[in-house]
Amino acid sequence: MEFISVQNVSFQYAEEENSQQVLNDISFEIKKGEFVALLGQNGSGKSTIAKLFNALLVPQKGKVFVDGMDTADESLTYDIRSKVGLVLQNPDNQLVASIVEEDVAFGPENLGIPADEIRERVDEALKAVDMYDHRLKAPYKLSGGQKQRVAIAGIIAMRPDCIVLDEPTAMLDPKGREEVLSTIMKLNKEHGITIVMITHYMEEAVRADKVYVVDSGSFVTSGTAEEVFSQVELLKKHRLDVPQATELCHKLRACGVSLDRLPLTEEDCVAMLREVLL
Amino acid sequence: MSLLQVQDLSYVYSQGTPFENTAVDHVSFSLEKGDFVGIIGHTGSGKSTLVQMLNGLIRPTSGTVLLDGVNIWDKPKEIRKIRFKVGLVFQYPEYQLFEETVEKDIAFGPTNMGLSPDEIKQRVIDASNFVGLKPELLEKSPFDLSGGEKRRAAIAGVIAMDPDILILDEPCAGLDPLGRDVLLTQIYRYHEQRGNTVLLVSHSMEDVATVCDKALVMNHAHLEMFDTTQKVFSQGEKLRAMGLRVPQITSIIDSLSVAGVPLEKGTLTVERAVEEITEYLKREGRL
Repeated sequence: MEFISVQNVSFQYAEEENSQQVLNDISFEIKKGEFVALLGQNGSGKSTIAKLFNALLVPQKGKVFVDGMDTADESLTYDIRSKVGLVLQNPDNQLVASIVEEDVAFGPENLGIPADEIRERVDEALKAVDMYDHRLKAPYKLSGGQKQRVAIAGIIAMRPDCIVLDEPTAMLDPKGREEVLSTIMKLNKEHGITIVMITHYMEEAVRADKVYVVDSGSFVTSGTAEEVFSQVELLKKHRLDVPQATELCHKLRACGVSLDRLPLTEEDCVAMLREVLL
Repeated sequence: MSLLQVQDLSYVYSQGTPFENTAVDHVSFSLEKGDFVGIIGHTGSGKSTLVQMLNGLIRPTSGTVLLDGVNIWDKPKEIRKIRFKVGLVFQYPEYQLFEETVEKDIAFGPTNMGLSPDEIKQRVIDASNFVGLKPELLEKSPFDLSGGEKRRAAIAGVIAMDPDILILDEPCAGLDPLGRDVLLTQIYRYHEQRGNTVLLVSHSMEDVATVCDKALVMNHAHLEMFDTTQKVFSQGEKLRAMGLRVPQITSIIDSLSVAGVPLEKGTLTVERAVEEITEYLKREGRL
């Protein structure tokens, strides 16, 4: 069943006739429980797409439905935002309270939820991102990856059906990136939360069920990670990249090494090459 | 004599208060002219504090920084001169643009150095060439540029001072993959042509592996390693324990080597890996 439905959407930031069209008549659907990655160069329109999902932006043409609710209907904005949470790039801009657990409680408090239920939700959310032991700390004492997981917990405490993450790992160190990504995977696989993730890291995008590539406000290609990342030349043409594992095998193939497919992950690549080389 | 000598350098934030925190702990190393060094380390490892001491933006709690053999804090009133010699580009420098036009913004540094108008003009042109800013953009307001262009303009502003040492803190954060490649190539070309020393702070092991000759590893305020990139990235286990990684390609070749394929550990780029594998197959008569 589709959870988000985007129908013939066009969007521009300024109202003037000649201002640049950011999205050009795009349509697609995201199913409940799916993990979707959105890829595209800077300025391609991918962040604009993400902001359509929780009614931060409403398209001039076309419709966006979240769980059947029209995002253009202002009386539904509150309900839509409690279903779709947004996590942004810089964790420092997203934390408001001076103690971790108070920060996570901020969302549910604003939803007017009774105190004992807030307690329950906050504990559950912090456990889900593996930050429960840090609940009484000050956010500024945490590492980037930990802060970003607290920001995600703040969203989970509102019990959304879907979390949209706009480059959640761009400012993190390698360990922080792994922590955040495995948290996202866990929320998707174990809690059934629909995930839409925008990223410039191809190693992260290969973990998604479905990958969309955006350029100049339209989709260039989409499909499973395997289908999308096998099109190495197309991705490069749109200023994107493929994981080094994929690129290595793509180049070896061009040199005449016979490989029947391209791997997406390091483990897969090593296994394939062992067979060919040994 | 080394261009820059860092001797027993420490920095303690909020010393003497309950919030006391040692960000850099007795660090020593030297940089030669023409070095291209990647600085890596987990968040909070002390990278940014360290580079801020190198251009005198903050004064070390103890230890010294010698530039051309002279302690940069010998004459505190002249510390500004040090900042012309050691140029620092902060993270997200595009937020620091402030002038009416891109040209004026890039000219801000050279103007403060007291250069002649002709010299300033030339430096603005050279610096924008290095970062690939089109000449027609110079007349525009910095706020009309795209994110990537703004970042280039900000970097050009530091390059225009022609520093002996250029330090860039995460210059590629948030750029798309091609944007990263292009900017890194431009920085590399700047380094090659000017022969200047460049320090690149980065969370991307791939970027450091591709362009840097040496890597300096910070871990919990300590200097853990300072060696050639190849030697640093051939110690995958040690890096992992510090919350760092090796580039995916290095890890792939290492695993194959452990499995018994005679390939070189610490391979840093996909191009090199392709060469090694095809050479091996040719030696074996299988290609």
